[in-house]
Amino acid sequence: MNWIQVLLIASVVALLVYLLRSRTNAKAKAWVKVGYALFVIAAVYAILRPDDTTVVANWLGVDRGADLLSYALTIAFIFTTLSTYLRFKQLELRYAQLVRAVALQSARTPEQG
Amino acid sequence: MYVVDIDTSGVWIIVPAFNEAQVIGDVVADLRSVFAHVVCVDDGSGDGTAGVALRAGAHVVSHPVNLGQGAAIQTGVEYARRRPGSEVFATFDADGQHRVKDVMTMVERLRGGDVDIVIGTRFAGSTISHTPPVKRLILQAAACLSPISRRLRLTDAHNGLRVFNRAVAEHLNLTMSGMSHAGEFIKLIDENRWRVAEEPVEILYTEYSLAKGQPLLNGVNIVFDGFLRGRLRR
Repeated sequence: MNWIQVLLIASVVALLVYLLRSRTNAKAKAWVKVGYALFVIAAVYAILRPDDTTVVANWLGVDRGADLLSYALTIAFIFTTLSTYLRFKQLELRYAQLVRAVALQSARTPEQG
Repeated sequence: MYVVDIDTSGVWIIVPAFNEAQVIGDVVADLRSVFAHVVCVDDGSGDGTAGVALRAGAHVVSHPVNLGQGAAIQTGVEYARRRPGSEVFATFDADGQHRVKDVMTMVERLRGGDVDIVIGTRFAGSTISHTPPVKRLILQAAACLSPISRRLRLTDAHNGLRVFNRAVAEHLNLTMSGMSHAGEFIKLIDENRWRVAEEPVEILYTEYSLAKGQPLLNGVNIVFDGFLRGRLRR
């Protein structure tokens, strides 16, 4: 097994763990920002020296830098999709609580007709 | 129509309804012939369900938008538990598939005092089940495959008929808005160590209730939601 396989499998497992343990707290949010900063730095570097991605890819056992990027992109996409899904679920819950509060305020009793 | 030999004061019947104007009037009137307190949670219906239920003698709480049955049950419980003197709470489907007689039996069972919640089951030994065979198989498989259902000895995973006391109502917090609330309810029973019993009930599968009922494929959503539950902040 070469390195890219190890990395990809580790990423997938990390995604699973994230899905199972996701709780929005300050720490997690901070790590997302750190990750984003690293992503920007890496992106700028890759734009300036595109051939270097191939060098990194070769270290990891991938032939072309473009392939490495597409792997990374896939993982990032799944990660984003999952966190959006969880975020939506959370919003739905709050939305339900809001709707419930409104409903309870305007309840009607049969005596009122 | 019914011989009412039980104390129904303090009993609140919670009927979640979404676009049930055709049948809700009869269902509420039938319940009201026995029980003084019925609350219909209109889950954002567009067909005048709320008005029909109100005229039939139910308290009506209306969601401004449709949320799903789980959310409607939670709203109904929150309404009922704030009413003075409420002690016993029952959930009852709006499509007319449950029998009022069964609720009376279950209330009696709860009043025995040795359990916190009584759940209806279609599959208890002696009752005749009119459940369509495929639905029956899937529901029973769901009950068998769930470790919690096995531990609590429950035979029917998704029965809409439940009767419970104030302790349960106070702590009930259903977060699954849609049909996944049945599984969530059972998990809450397990987590809070509520004492649970089953009572055989009959389900009246009318053409109307079969058409309104959830398709079996929805089971996929229910299983998926079950995995996700607890991963979300309350």
